[in-house]
This record gives sequence, C-alpha cells and structure tokens, in this order.
Amino acid sequence: MSEHPNLQQWKDLASKQMKGKPVDALDWMTPEGIRVKPLYTAEDLENLDANTLPGMAPYMRGPMATMYAGRPWTVRQYAGFSTAKESNAFYHKALAAGQKGLSVAFDLATHRGYDSDHPRVSGDIGKAGVAIDSVEDMKILFDGIPLDKMSVSMTMNGAVIPILAGYIVAAEEQGVSHEQLSGTIQNDILKEYLTRNTYIYPPGPSMRIISDIMSFCSKNMPRYNTISISGYHMMEAGANSVLQTAFTLADGIEYVKAALKSGMDVDTFAPRLSFFFGIGMNFFMDIAMLRAARFLWHRSMSQFDPKNPKSSMLRTHCQTSGWSLTEQDPYNNVIRTTLEAITAVLGGTQSLHTNSFDEAIGLPTDFSARIARNTQIVVQEESQICHVIDPLGGSYYVESLTNSIIEEAQKIIDEIEELGGMAKAIESGMPKMRIEESAARKQARIDQGLDVIVGVNKYKLTDEKIDFDVREVPSSVRDEQVSRLKEIKETRDSDAVKKALADLTSAAQNDGNLLEAALPAVRARATLGEISDAMESVFGRFVATTRCISGAYSSEFSSNDDTIKSLKKRTADFLEKQGRRPRLLVTKMGQDGHDRGFKVVASAYADLGFDVDISPMFQTPEEAAKMAIENDVHVVGASSLAAGHKTLIPSLIDELGKIGGDDIIVVAGGVIPPGDYDFLFKAGVKAVFGPGTPITDSADKTMTLLEEKYL
Amino acid sequence: MLKDPKEYVNGVLNKDRLLLARTITLIESTLPTHQALAKEIVNQLLPHTGSSVRLGITGVPGAGKSTYIESFGNMLTEMGHRIAVLAIDPSSTRSGGSILGDKTRMEKLAVNQDAFIRPSPSSGTLGGVGRKTRETMLVCEAAGYDVVIVETVGVGQSETTVASMVDFFLVLMIAGAGDELQGIKKGVLEVADAIVINKADGDNITRAEVARKEYETALHMLMPASPNWTVPVLTCSSIENRGIDRIWETVLAHKTALTKTGEMAEKRKTQALDWMSFLLEEGLHQWFYTDSQVTGSLPRLRQETADGLISPAAAADCLLDHLKNR
Repeated sequence: MSEHPNLQQWKDLASKQMKGKPVDALDWMTPEGIRVKPLYTAEDLENLDANTLPGMAPYMRGPMATMYAGRPWTVRQYAGFSTAKESNAFYHKALAAGQKGLSVAFDLATHRGYDSDHPRVSGDIGKAGVAIDSVEDMKILFDGIPLDKMSVSMTMNGAVIPILAGYIVAAEEQGVSHEQLSGTIQNDILKEYLTRNTYIYPPGPSMRIISDIMSFCSKNMPRYNTISISGYHMMEAGANSVLQTAFTLADGIEYVKAALKSGMDVDTFAPRLSFFFGIGMNFFMDIAMLRAARFLWHRSMSQFDPKNPKSSMLRTHCQTSGWSLTEQDPYNNVIRTTLEAITAVLGGTQSLHTNSFDEAIGLPTDFSARIARNTQIVVQEESQICHVIDPLGGSYYVESLTNSIIEEAQKIIDEIEELGGMAKAIESGMPKMRIEESAARKQARIDQGLDVIVGVNKYKLTDEKIDFDVREVPSSVRDEQVSRLKEIKETRDSDAVKKALADLTSAAQNDGNLLEAALPAVRARATLGEISDAMESVFGRFVATTRCISGAYSSEFSSNDDTIKSLKKRTADFLEKQGRRPRLLVTKMGQDGHDRGFKVVASAYADLGFDVDISPMFQTPEEAAKMAIENDVHVVGASSLAAGHKTLIPSLIDELGKIGGDDIIVVAGGVIPPGDYDFLFKAGVKAVFGPGTPITDSADKTMTLLEEKYL
Repeated sequence: MLKDPKEYVNGVLNKDRLLLARTITLIESTLPTHQALAKEIVNQLLPHTGSSVRLGITGVPGAGKSTYIESFGNMLTEMGHRIAVLAIDPSSTRSGGSILGDKTRMEKLAVNQDAFIRPSPSSGTLGGVGRKTRETMLVCEAAGYDVVIVETVGVGQSETTVASMVDFFLVLMIAGAGDELQGIKKGVLEVADAIVINKADGDNITRAEVARKEYETALHMLMPASPNWTVPVLTCSSIENRGIDRIWETVLAHKTALTKTGEMAEKRKTQALDWMSFLLEEGLHQWFYTDSQVTGSLPRLRQETADGLISPAAAADCLLDHLKNR
C-alpha cells in the first residue's frame, strides 16, 4: 500500500512545528498497551470492516436497529440503604422524579447470607445497601410498586437463591404471577471470586445455582434477565479497558458453557444474558470498549451456533466509575460523572447509572442522588444527542481504537481458553494477578502525577471543607431488623419452616432445582440466613486465597525517584535502629469484600521496605486484634469502604487494649467522611487516609508516626 | 520499651499471647541488646521445653502448604492439642520489605484460640532461619504448645536446616504432568520422614495416585535414613479434609517407633550437638570478622593477595595469628 501523498506532507509540517522532532514523539501509550497516534486518517480504516449497521450482526453499532432515535436508554439508578421502609420511600421519590427502573442495593450481611442478628455482621447492617432478612422485608421494599409493570434490577450474587425467591414470593403476595416479572438479577458469581468477594459457596455449587436459576426462569419468567455479566467491579478493582472486556466476555462464555452442559438449548437462555460495564475517564477508550465488546460477543457466541439472533446480541447496563470519584474538591465529581455518562451513551448502552458526587465520602443523600439522576436526564433530554445512532461510527480514530481493543482482548480470551476456560483461569490466579498489577501501576502513575486527577495530585485546594450534608445510617437499623426477626420467628409455623428447610437441604444434596425448592421456605417465612445455611450445610462456605503481587508499584517509578528513595531509606534506618523493619498489618473488617485498596497498599508498602502482614477477609475486630498481637506489628491499617468504620475501628482499638496491644498504632483508610475524622481521632486512630491519598503520602505519615514513637 | 527478662519468662509460661509474640520479636531482632535479652529469656525457659511434637513441613510453591496446615491444625485443636505454626516467608522484595500472607490461607486456624501462628520474613535477620526458628520453637514449647509446626518453602537451603531441628519432616507435593521429581531437590527427599501428595481431589485423584507410586519407586532407590522407619508416601485433600487424620497417625507411629528403639532421644541429642556446633561456628565467624585487628588488616591483605604480593595461605595465617597471639 502506498503512502497517502498528503500524509507525508502533514508529517513534515508537524515535525517542523515540533522543532525537528519526529511526529512519533506525540504517540501515547495507553495503560492497555495500545499505541495511540496524534492523527488518524482514512488510511487507518483501509483494512477494517467498519461499515456495518445497528441491530444487525456483528452489532458493533448497537444491538437495536433504532437505538436512542427510537427510544433512549433507561435511567436506572442503583440505590438502597438502611431498612426496607427507608429504601422504599427513596424509590418512590426517585420514580416520581423521572427514574424509569429500579435497581436495588443490598447490605453486605444480606450479600453474604447472614441475618441481621448474626454476630459477624454487627457493623454492616443497612450500611452499603438495604438490609433484607425475610420476605416480610421484601414486601415492604416493594410496597406500592407494581411488580408486574416495574422492571427491577437486583445486585445480588452470593445470596441469590433467598433474594430471588423473596422477590418472587413478594410478587405472588401482590397478586403478580411469575411470568409477569421483568428485570435482572446480577447473579454473576465468577467475578466475585475475582474482585468483589461477596460469595458464599465454593465455585462448583455456585455455578450450579446459576444453572438452576437460568433453568427455572426460562420456563417460568420469560421476561427476566437471569444474569448480568459484570465487568464493572473489575474496572473498579483496577482493570484497564482491555482486561475488563476480555475477562467479562470470558465469564459470559463460561456461563454459556455451564448452561449447555446442564442440558439447555442455547436459544432458551442466551437471549436473557445481559452485561454490565464500568465506564471510566478514558473517554474514547471506553466508547470503543463498548463497541468492541458487542463485536466480540457476537463472534464468541457463533461457536455455539445459535439460531436466534438475540442469542449473540450484547445488551448492557453501564455505570460511571466510583474509583474516579475523589474525596478532595468533590463537586468536580459531577463533571467526571457527566463525561463518563456521555461516554456510555456514545458507546451505546441500554441503561445507565450515574454516580453521586459524594460517593467517595459517604452514602448518597436525596440531594446528591437528584443531581446524579439529572446528570443523565440532561444529557438525554437537553443535548439532542439521541437523534443519531452510533454518531462516532466511521470516525477514523474510534474505529481504529475499537479494532485495537478487539485484537488485544481476543488475545486474552484465547489465553483463557487455553487454560481451560474462565473458571480454571480464576483457579490459576491469572486474571486476579493481571487486575492487581494493572491497579498497582495505575496507583503509581497517580502518585507520580503522570495520571492527573484535579484536586488530588494537581490544582489542590488548600482549604478543603464539606459544605453539604452526608448521609449516615444510624446503628438503630440493626436493632429494628433484629426485633423484626424475633417477631417473625415467634409468629410463624416453625414445623412448616423446618420441613421446608429440610427439603431445600435435600434438593441441594440430590440435584433438585434450588430456586424452586427455596420458594416454599420463603413462603413459610424462613429467613435469608436460614435458607443460606440450609444450602451451606451441603456446599460449605468458600474461603478465598489472597495472593499479592510485589514490585509492580515501584516499577512504575523511575529508579531514582526521590520520594521513593527517601522512604526506602527511612525503612532501612528503622531496621538499623530497631532491629527489624517497620511491620504493618493491613486488615479488612466486616463483610465488605472490595480488596483492591488494601492489596495495592500491601504491595506498595512492601516495595517501600515495610514487612506487611495481610489478614484474611471478613475479620471481626477481635480476630484482627489477635493477628496484630501474634504477628507483633507496629501498625494496623484498617481499610473500610462500606460505612462500618464508626463501629468496627473503635472496637478494634478496644480489643487491642484488652490483650495488651494498646501501644500498636492504628490508622484507617478508605471511604470515610471527613466529618467522621474527629470521631476516629478521639477513638484513638492516629491517621486517616481518605480516597485518593497518594500512597507515598500515607507511607510518609505512617513512617513519621513510627519515627516519633520509636526513634 | 524493653522489660525485665523475668517478665517475658513469666508471660510465656502463663501462655500470654502478647509476651510470647514480643519474645519472638526479640529473638528475630538484629540488635545486639535484643539478642542478649532473648538469649537470657530462652535460657530461663529451657527447663520448660522439649515436650512437644516438632514438625517440619515443606513443599514447592503452590503445593498448598498453608491450606494443608489450616486443615491439619484445626483437626489437632479439635483433638485437644494446642499448636504453634512458624511460617518462614521468602517473599521479600528487592527493597527488603515483604508481604506475609500465610494467614489469609489459614482463615479458621488464624482465629482459633488454641493456635498461635507467626509468619516471619526470611530476610534481614542475623543467623538466618536456623538460629531464630530453633529458639522460637523452644519458646512456643515453653508456652504450652504441644505441636509446633515449622513451615518453609522447598526451594532454598532452609529445608535441610529445618529438618535438622524437628522430629518429623513432611514433604508436601502435588501431582503434576509427569515431572513430579523436578522442582524439588533430591536432598529434600533424603531428609523426608513422609511424602504427602496434596490436592488429591476432583479430577486430580488418579493423577495423585500415579504420583504416589512414582515417589514410592524413587524412595526405594534412596538409602533409608532410619533403620526403624520406612518413609511412606500418602495422598490427601486439604480442601475436602480427606487423609489428614492418617498423616497425624503416621506422625504418632513414627514417634512410637523411634521412641521405643531410643532413636528419638538420640536424634534430639544429635540435633542439640549439631546446633551447638553451628552456634560455635557462627560465633567464631562473627567474633573473627568483628575483631578490630582483623578488620584493620583484612582489606590490605586481600589486596596484597589479589596482587600476588603474598600467598593466600600466608595472608590467612597472618590474620589468624592476630587471634592466636592474644
């Protein structure tokens, strides 16, 4: 192929403007390892087949023929907190203000299959979502919401059986039959083992539960999406866009294979598979990502030979990135979310959640939720974006980038196939290591200012103050839940409950359909914890292996970076004077399973010369204290992302004191509202590191605390 | 913030978790003041040691050592034992720091009140694994732990050191694709008292059985280390909790066999003597190289040897004479 005649002229011109430097010097290497040039031309499209149509294979330009020109995306805000009653009131307000579908967030105790009165979950009730213990809570949650008309999305992966059964029975008692129900259950367990850790059972039984749900719904709930294959949490854990695409599609392929293996026909379930992608700040990259994902899903599904075109059509929900939100100068988050919303829209999403600007600080309030909802309503109804389908189709750059993502993601998908599929790959630890490596590298780029975050590592405010309300869930929520549980247990027919639970256990042993077997138990008012336990007695509870990479963080820094060098020297000096390196325990208490932050911290601190102990997930304060004492650490760093800090961290300090460890320094990190800092300091916490704190800063502060105390 | 040695001694004897942990920190410390204090404490505790079953466990990375100890340890505490686990973690980074993640794979044992688990970084301590682990083991015994497990990764030199301080040395393996004997040194097999093929579960059972036979054959070609013990090759599944009890029975059978014949007492005696020789050599080494006359003339003599101005033997004699003439 001959060089485009004008292109050489342009290159010369550009080079002249750059004082003789070659134009390649302007190339940008993305975190995905894709080389992006400063200019794309028709030449870049020559070998690409970009000329396709929406609603037709390979669906690159959109799954529907008319896309937003016919009907815009669904405004679907994810929400839930406190009790079912509070959340229900919140939903009613949101629906009155223009929201179209419901999306329920559950608290962590519910996710992990524990009732609110379980001793392990005292700090988690109603915090990161709504607390649900029985069908009575479910009925309150959907009170006044017609389940035959409203599509309901539920983010549930661990306790899917009691929750989905609870939703079905709540509908029954509203007079709504099974086939009238429409909505989505996330039900994507593979990514839980990868990133979010809100699983209950080991992978084998968990995959079986998914097949059982697919099979029940394909017969009884034809309008219901049985799974939402999610890349969102991978992105939040630090995966770049190529990793997100590849791992999400590989998860999808694994589910298809599992369903086929259980004897289903591909066209009975594949049209009900939906996806969920996370959208970050890399504007064109994530537009291209959604286009590439649709192309790749169509190509991947062709191996199963579906007859129904809908079987290979990728439909997706999107959410703007929580990781991109900052605690510092938080109104900037409205702007970030707007950009990400437009990214999702230009990429052709089917529904969208836009985050609230205060989510790096606390739970959304009515005010911040309204701004978040209006962010996408303004884009949808004021910007005139909706009139044209896939408006960036044919763009030299976007088409070329789409193709690069297709190529790079396909390589990873092939690699996973060679390992024997995603379940095997997860067992091997490969996807998790890749995501963590990507996360550590990103953190290092942020800490060096190579990735700019306004208000965090550039244009910082000298005087941060919070001039808006932050929502707090009172601890009385737990008392309310506990007393309702007591009431239910006193008034129900306990023989009927016992029998229904025994039947469920027997279905678990004998390959019965678990969703079907759980319905009588829910109707008899068995609680969520009891239903989970009935299955756990057969399946066991899964314990994750935590692996941690080292070296990735410091390798992003140049070898003579002064900050890194000086921190390494300080840890070495500490060793010389104290006879050992500074030793730090990083721990996560409560049921929050987001472990990116704490692993990036562990990995980076080890690179800086600390000895870092990692605790298992889901610790109680007493357990964390025992580990701190046994390992004889100087510092405990408690990570909290799920609003449990005000109970769990003071309780850790208490427990340490009880066994003589009151000289151990406690620091806290994660999503902690600045208004709570004083409370924590008074409780004895020595430093609090909010979201976006560069690790070099937190390590510096930690070393200063240590030097003051020991040197 | 150091306390009187008596306080540590009483703390350890009273099974105080905090003071036990802090005593271990003193043992591991590189500071001479800490080491002196540690020596004092260990000496005072010595009469209370010796009554535990000392177990060494090694295996290639990925053999499932931590998961195995999780199952094994919880089984033992259910039987009424109190167990201590000393995990030597090699995962040090170039910076010298390390990530100690063993307890994430020992979730239940980590919170078990009858268990004490102490991960230690392998780098940055004087005397290496040998000195500090031996002393830590004794301190745990004095604190009433009747089974002490030393876990080490089977890729370095540390496993023969560990084998020389325990009663029973268990090598954990997994079935691979025909290359079972690779990745682990022959020397490790020579000091093994049992070989266990872990992860014999799911579609791995057959392969584990094949591997078991291969190891049996390989062991036949080695000289048995003890006349009273034939090294068995077993299989187990840590995640399914199968075969774990048989391994404990094997440990007890080994103990009975060796105790009856007097070999166990002999073994511990030899180990104590070996340890004394080791400490003597280490002490001499340290004494020699920190002597001011030696450090004063060593660089010059090295240079002269390198330049051929003096013979290596003469240079060494010259240095040794400094000490002989004291």
